[in-house]
Amino acid sequence: MKSTLLTPSLKNNESGWLLYSTCGQKRSPSELPGSYGELKIPHGGRDKAISNLSSDTISTSGLKSSVAKEKVALSPTSSCIIPSFESLKSSVSESISEEAAAKKEEEREEEEEDRVLKRDLITFYTLYRLAKMKMFSVAHKTVFVVDHCPYMAESSRQQVECDVLTKSRAQGVIPLAPVSKSLWTCAVECSMEYCRILFDVYPKDKLVNYIVSDSEFHILNTWRREDQSTHELMSALAAVGPPNPREDPECCSILHGLVAAVEALCKITELQHEKRTALMDTAERVANRGRIICLTNAKSDTHVRMLEDCIQETISEQNKLAAGSDRLMAIQQCDLVLVHIYPQGEETLVSDRPKKEISPLLTSEVYSVRAGRHLASKLNILVQQHFDLASTTITNIPMKEEQHANTSANYDVELLHHRDAHIEFFKSGGSSCITGPWAEVVGPNASECDPIIDIWGLYSAGDLHMAGTSTRENGVKETMTLKWCTPRTNSIELHYCTGAYRISPTDVNSRPSSCLTNFLLNGRSVLLEQPRKSGSKVISHMLSSHGGEIFLHVLNSNRSTLEDPPSISEGCGGRVTDYRITDFGEFMRDNRLTPVAESSHDPSGKLPVERAKAQLERYTRYWPMIISQTTIFNMQAVVPLANLIVKEVLTEEDLLTCQKTIYNLVDMERKNDPLPISTYRIMWNELETLVKTHAGATDRHQRVLDCIVACRSKPPEEEERKKRGRKREEREDRTEKNGSKEAEDKSWQESERRVRRFLSACAALTYLLL
Amino acid sequence: MPTVVLMDASLSMTRPVSLDGIEEFQRKNLAVHGLNMLFEHMASNYRLEFTALMAFSSLWELLVPFTRDYNALQEALSNLEDYDKTCLELALQGVSSVVQQEWGNGCPCQVVLVTDGSLGIGKGSLRHSLQTLKHRGDDKKFPLPYPFPTKMFILCIANAEELQMTDAMENLEELLRLSGGDGQIFTVDGPLCMKSVQAMFGMLIDRAYSPFHAVLHCGNLSSDVQVFPRPESVVVDEEVEPIPRAVSTDLEIVGFIEIADISSPPVISRHLVLPIAVNKEVDEVGTGTTDELEEEPSASQMAGKSPNFCVLLHGSLKVEGMVALVQLGPEWFGMLYSQADSKKKSNLMMSLFEPGSDPLPWLGKISHLGPVSEAAENPYGEDDSKSPFPVQPQVKRSYAQNVTVWIKASGLQTDVQKILRNARKLPDKTQTFYKELNRLRKAALAFGFWELLKGVAELLERECTMLPDSAHPDAAFQLSHAAHQLKLASSGDS
Repeated sequence: MKSTLLTPSLKNNESGWLLYSTCGQKRSPSELPGSYGELKIPHGGRDKAISNLSSDTISTSGLKSSVAKEKVALSPTSSCIIPSFESLKSSVSESISEEAAAKKEEEREEEEEDRVLKRDLITFYTLYRLAKMKMFSVAHKTVFVVDHCPYMAESSRQQVECDVLTKSRAQGVIPLAPVSKSLWTCAVECSMEYCRILFDVYPKDKLVNYIVSDSEFHILNTWRREDQSTHELMSALAAVGPPNPREDPECCSILHGLVAAVEALCKITELQHEKRTALMDTAERVANRGRIICLTNAKSDTHVRMLEDCIQETISEQNKLAAGSDRLMAIQQCDLVLVHIYPQGEETLVSDRPKKEISPLLTSEVYSVRAGRHLASKLNILVQQHFDLASTTITNIPMKEEQHANTSANYDVELLHHRDAHIEFFKSGGSSCITGPWAEVVGPNASECDPIIDIWGLYSAGDLHMAGTSTRENGVKETMTLKWCTPRTNSIELHYCTGAYRISPTDVNSRPSSCLTNFLLNGRSVLLEQPRKSGSKVISHMLSSHGGEIFLHVLNSNRSTLEDPPSISEGCGGRVTDYRITDFGEFMRDNRLTPVAESSHDPSGKLPVERAKAQLERYTRYWPMIISQTTIFNMQAVVPLANLIVKEVLTEEDLLTCQKTIYNLVDMERKNDPLPISTYRIMWNELETLVKTHAGATDRHQRVLDCIVACRSKPPEEEERKKRGRKREEREDRTEKNGSKEAEDKSWQESERRVRRFLSACAALTYLLL
Repeated sequence: MPTVVLMDASLSMTRPVSLDGIEEFQRKNLAVHGLNMLFEHMASNYRLEFTALMAFSSLWELLVPFTRDYNALQEALSNLEDYDKTCLELALQGVSSVVQQEWGNGCPCQVVLVTDGSLGIGKGSLRHSLQTLKHRGDDKKFPLPYPFPTKMFILCIANAEELQMTDAMENLEELLRLSGGDGQIFTVDGPLCMKSVQAMFGMLIDRAYSPFHAVLHCGNLSSDVQVFPRPESVVVDEEVEPIPRAVSTDLEIVGFIEIADISSPPVISRHLVLPIAVNKEVDEVGTGTTDELEEEPSASQMAGKSPNFCVLLHGSLKVEGMVALVQLGPEWFGMLYSQADSKKKSNLMMSLFEPGSDPLPWLGKISHLGPVSEAAENPYGEDDSKSPFPVQPQVKRSYAQNVTVWIKASGLQTDVQKILRNARKLPDKTQTFYKELNRLRKAALAFGFWELLKGVAELLERECTMLPDSAHPDAAFQLSHAAHQLKLASSGDS
């Protein structure tokens, strides 16, 4: 069966529906990175493969079933999430009355939590005001130290069924035994997820250095900006491979990596270097702080203490070294986050410990986490804490299936972003706003919030509550709900936006997430509304992509203090009606900006933006603002010259065009062609004024002026009159316009003289052309 | 930035002020006199400011809600009655709710507290409030700091010596610190009298209510403007750059950008840009033709009739749907655009971007925006069909790549199923089959998940044995090749 791919531009889409397309799978093969040993199509099949390139659409049989499955997971009415977990099966089978009782209990608890939360939020905000993230906070440098010792090769004992969906197809086939990840695999994929979110939200200057430790340390990347991508890290990790279980455990230790981590923190980053150079004598303002996240399997609490002591010692040693080096900086603050990972079903040997000061330079916190999903959610919480992130769930996103284009279902997608996107909400603490969106988040209807609170979609209904509180204790709130708003916005509207923050989807390759991100990446924006119980509609945010990055824009929804200002027509210059609006529009188009490559160096040494200003200066040397003030800019015949004379440099060809324009004007005057407003004399005066302002620029500019002076009609007393000022002269011109015979005679003589000049100019032109 | 005037109406404000032995005024009269002076100033120089008037003693009352009607404020002031003791905490609470009700919690506000510096005794006094600061439940928190950015100006109808005799000064300083520190305490210099109080209010006016005048330049075209409200100084990073940056009084247009390209950028504040007439000889080229005419009937009519660059700029920005990029200082930019309100009135507005070299990622570094004329080929196309914006980042974000995440079981299952689905359609789907297979292999190698490679190899071998007789011979060939390669990879041999 061949599916018909619907494109998002179909007419039904105007209702704001998203379409499930298989965009994620439609990438061209050329985009495949081939860094490490790509599989090659063997010879027999290559020709076929090429001939089949066009039929690249995805088959649908399997797709359908997976879609159905996800629907179960996301449907707001189902009280459980994914049916593949044992614990969950049992909870489903519970009787309905029990469920209802449990729900009531949960409601009560949630109300209590709500109160606690409100308090936390207020404290959170107070803290926030005092501690806005600095440029060189600990978040600037993060070192991951991942244990690569033999015991990390142990299984996490969390099994993943990867042969689930074939069962219906072929009977009698023995399904593949479930696979399970090693502790190493769990550690690596969770740390990569941490980095993925980090790099999505902070593509610049929140740096990661990744170190692997076994019998020695392996540094997989550097602080350099081009090394900051999950791509780079994945390639490096592939080269490292899983831990070798046969290696001598005696030689292996996480310590190698931790020592290397401290050394890495001393190394100066590009940003630190740039800022130090820029600040010169106040370079000491550039701080050196950092965080070490250590993923290991520790033996005991004593072992953990030993590791902490060792780090403390290394810091003192390295700081001494750093004092005498330009490329190193002493560490002013180091936060150690030690995550002890142990297999499922085992007892932990290490106890959790909240953040504690080991020394003025070092703090340490310890988490003991089971491998698998627990580790994943722990690191997700950590990345939120470490980088001031918050979560938003976009609800009610209408999407339709390819197969069922007539029906749509609503989906939710969770996004992470800087918490400032909700600063208004956090600030309002317990006031009006909290009863709005917050009530929706931890609202009484537990089933409604399941998919929201349950970040990973993995908890059974039973331990959902536990999962919720555990995250709250850690100070990270769940998620803010914002509702998809159907009337979309257009790009030519300028919203009053008080912040824009990059997002990262929590579950990046789930179908609803990729559907939403693809919709946005295609250049569309969507407004988001705060869900409120009272019918009022408050649009508070907008999702929009710019250059392949998606941003959550915060829109102002409060009353404006600038309302009802006096209209511009009531103020200075407001009564003038003949502004050259269209001409200035043209001027603005000519002075639009464009990005200039940093490498392109201008001989003048000026930055592009300075050159833009210089261009504005040239373009406005003579620029009358109103129509009745100018003759030349009302004449089509002057346009070629007016456009060229403002240029910084004139080519020989430009010069010729200018001269031709002038001869043409002479010709017009000779034929006595009527002018739009005034007389030829005024026109010549004005043209001369325009060109004079540029005459000093280059020799060719000067020659344009010379040409005008040579060709123009000029009464003998002109020079004298000029001294009395242009304006008076214009007034006299106006009286002259009424005309006296004398003047006409004079102008006749004048024109004769001019014809002579014209002829000599033509001779000059011919000379030039030769 | 709206203002709340919080006027002390306690009995102590009625204390007489002796001038040369003659009792003439109460402190209250002096305060009212000062405030009247402030209101008159605002009415003529700062009339777009919204101001509310509150009076407090042991209770508080909103006498005039936020308004631009300064007559109403003055009138309310003249009818002010005397009440009982001072209880500042409640009144500050009142300010908080009045402001938030009207403007929400994001709008910066100025609070002008006028008091005689006797701040109550016992419970409810400021001293008591501050002493108990740390021993309070969540429901009885001290109202400061406010959730909205606050500038607190405390005007004491008392001189500094008087305040320092008690702990009043200390308490007020603590109050200022709690409010966020962005404000000032003013005291009367010398003996209390009309003049000295006037001088004190004059200092407040200079500090917070003097109109911000600037010159807007676009090359040689320019206009004198008032920027309302006054743009605030901004601290970029308290550690690296602790000195606040202020907006320059020369606003230089750098160039122009389409609205669609600038694309609803985030801004730190918005301001009206109002052209003003400054009395000076109009000497720029091309402006004014009437300056030698006989005397004009009225200055404002005259100003209305002489062409102004702001009006021209506004008109063209509106018609063209563009914004002007304007430089506010070193590495600090903003935009000028036409803003229409619901009543079809429109205005020239300026929004300030976050200070720094690249406040909007999609424009790239602003200092690297140059004139179109320099480009070899017009980046907007000959028919304006193209745009050089948005600037693409060098690295794609995770959601714009086809990243592999297997944290959820479903992610892994979907990827395996995709391969199997294509495997069953070999050799038609060879290209997609290998694409998906390579993606899985690459991720499995990076995650050190060799067990998965083995598993998928087995699955492919199974598919191979289950091929129907009608299958293309190439299908079996591809499947066994792929399975073999995965097995090799799973042993670290690839």
